[in-house]
Amino acid sequence: MKKLRLIAVQSQKKALLEDLLKLGCVEVTEPELGEDDILSSLRDKSDEGAMERRSQQLKILNALKVLDQYAPAKRGMLSPKPEEVKENFLDKQGLEQALDAADRILRLDGELRAVSANESRERALEESLKPWQNLDLPLECRGTRTCDLLLGAVPASVSQQEAEGALIELDADLTQIEQDKTDSYVVVLYRKEIRDEVLAALREVNFSQISLGNLTGTAKENIALCQQHLREFAEEKQRLADAIKAESGMRPILEMGADNAGTGISLCEAAEKLRNTETVALLQGWVPAEKEEKLRQVFDGYDCAWELVEPEKDEYPNVPVQLKNNAFTNALNMVTNMYSLPAYGTVDPNPLMAPFFILFFGLMMADIGYGLIMILAALVVRKKLKPRGNALATWQLVLYGGISTLLMGILTGGFFSDVIDAICELNGSSFRMWRLFSAEEQSTQVLVGSMVLGLLHLNTGMAVSFYRKRKDGNLADGIFEEGSLWVLLLGIVLYALPMLPSLLKKDFQIPAVIGTAGMVIMIIGGAMLLFGAGRHSKGFGKVTAAFGAIYNTATGWFGDVLSYSRIMALMLAGGVVGKVFNNVALMPARNAGHFTVGSALAFVIIFVLGHTMNFGLNILGCYVHDLRLQCLEFFGKFYEDGGKPFRPLTFSESYRQVKG
Amino acid sequence: MEFLNAIGGGAFALLGAAMAAALACVGSAKGTGITGEAGAGLVSEDPSKSGKVMILQVIPGTQGLYGFVIFFLAFTKISAHLGTMSVLQGMQIFGACLPIALGGLLSAIAQGRVAAASINILAKKPDDWSKGMIMCIVVEFYAILCLLASFLMLNAITL
Repeated sequence: MKKLRLIAVQSQKKALLEDLLKLGCVEVTEPELGEDDILSSLRDKSDEGAMERRSQQLKILNALKVLDQYAPAKRGMLSPKPEEVKENFLDKQGLEQALDAADRILRLDGELRAVSANESRERALEESLKPWQNLDLPLECRGTRTCDLLLGAVPASVSQQEAEGALIELDADLTQIEQDKTDSYVVVLYRKEIRDEVLAALREVNFSQISLGNLTGTAKENIALCQQHLREFAEEKQRLADAIKAESGMRPILEMGADNAGTGISLCEAAEKLRNTETVALLQGWVPAEKEEKLRQVFDGYDCAWELVEPEKDEYPNVPVQLKNNAFTNALNMVTNMYSLPAYGTVDPNPLMAPFFILFFGLMMADIGYGLIMILAALVVRKKLKPRGNALATWQLVLYGGISTLLMGILTGGFFSDVIDAICELNGSSFRMWRLFSAEEQSTQVLVGSMVLGLLHLNTGMAVSFYRKRKDGNLADGIFEEGSLWVLLLGIVLYALPMLPSLLKKDFQIPAVIGTAGMVIMIIGGAMLLFGAGRHSKGFGKVTAAFGAIYNTATGWFGDVLSYSRIMALMLAGGVVGKVFNNVALMPARNAGHFTVGSALAFVIIFVLGHTMNFGLNILGCYVHDLRLQCLEFFGKFYEDGGKPFRPLTFSESYRQVKG
Repeated sequence: MEFLNAIGGGAFALLGAAMAAALACVGSAKGTGITGEAGAGLVSEDPSKSGKVMILQVIPGTQGLYGFVIFFLAFTKISAHLGTMSVLQGMQIFGACLPIALGGLLSAIAQGRVAAASINILAKKPDDWSKGMIMCIVVEFYAILCLLASFLMLNAITL
């Protein structure tokens, strides 16, 4: 990364930024100017309209959402994003067109919502009138000169006799009009002078008055009116929905407009980071060192002054990080990005991680069939979807993982677990897949093997850490921290060597003296470790530091190495589950003694369903556990994270991608 | 001992196989149930996420599958020896079935909770939903270990 500073004349600022956008390799940052900087008079920021662009983008996206609702796009799963030339991402007219279309669609949607609101209000009214449809009094009737008329409801738990009985002594009348599950709807008629007594009696039976507003005419007439309105609303809604559907032809313009506005947002935001005077503008940013020549070509066409400098050490925390990768290690970007980028100036973990990640993944999946599926899927997607950037990295990882899975599958003789062996056995053939080892039969050896791989993995990490310490001039730290552990490990390996024959079930002897030598080396390593831990402490601190070191090393390393047993666990689990599915699938054929049409069909169905499930689970599980081994165990040994990702000024490609 | 002999080894073995399938399936039913409830809420707001909700929902379903795997292996092993098995052998099968029975039951419920919480991620930060999936898979590992423990033990028993 190099730091770019550039002063351009105001009139060319926009054009220059657009050219940088097309180049796509400059991250624009806010200049930090000290008091004594000669550029410190460049202070003014300008409003370039990023806010306006954002509201434009929001409007277009909302319109697209409305279109998705009424006229969903039919796009094949495997069709790539359409390509557009760079100019279309900056085309003002295209954006205007998209905004017009968005306005139309949003207006139609607004009308549609208003109609829907009216519709639900009408429906609620209809609902509230339904109990009264047998009442043949007009609803505006509130009584006569001498009598009051009340409409209301009594809970269904109160029987009609009870309700009528409460009023009969008062010489008032209660008539039930309708009853549903919760309430009975009643009309109460009484003389005005006994109002208080009647109301008190009605309270006793939990009467609640119902007011139907200022409706006139009978309930039946009003319901008919409601229904007529509802029909009109439905027609109106249909008309509006059709009108929105008719706009579906605008989708490509809207999608291009959304990316156009998105690109505009990036441009405006970058422009707002510039510092201005009336005549010139100052731009600061970061550029990958290898792009210098391209920049020069662009800048040659403008009246500007510029410099590119290497960042100072104290600027490192602010320098964005871009991983330099080749096609192979690029696949691991997904893992590194998900965890955290390395700090600027430290080690790029991808090349170190790639072989282990892919090997471990293959070991855990270990199946020829699954490997073939992954390879095929990756190849098809790469050909059809033409993914770029992170998506491409993901599919590359699938491809490499698939190849590794295939190779390990050949070594362990797994093809959809044991389906070939099982079918051969059914047909009386003695053919069995060749295998070098199998997690099921040699589980102990595979377990130890996993941990040995783990040791290799961890030591690679330590070697990197040692190398970095030596490079930074901290050789002593390296010797006491990594070095003492290596001595210790060598001791442990030598000590454990005489147990090898029994583990491999082979008949050869390893002299016991090697074990004794291992013991001695272990003690030396331990002493180094203790001394190293207490090196920087004084007095009693030395003792606590030493104990701390023992505890951390013992538990930390023990845990780290044991953690690699998951390689064997996942290898075995995938195989076992697959095997059981094969077994179940072959059951009907086994019962018949050979394949019949029915049993073959049952086999295919169960086989496909079972292995789809097993494959899905396995690919997820293996990925996650491989990730864990890298991020927790491996990175723990050397990785310094905290890098800021490099975000160059570039096109927004949510719906369209740039051609070429 | 006489009492146990009267029951017979086969009964214990069957009990173990039954527990492996039943408890693990109960766990998965609860786990997928918890996730389904949370997921239905999200789908009611945004039906287009139903595919992802379904993926999250099936994750706690695997324990039931593992339970069934052990049941199947145990059952094919014992079905021919049900009448003749000794109490000792029956108890061995029973013990071998325990890890996936208990581990499956509890891990599926725990995983169901994580999956249900991940539905929130899917609702609020749809781009990061795969992180929720990863959290679910962390719980899955313990069910896999239980499956392996049961499997290795079953393999070691000879009838």
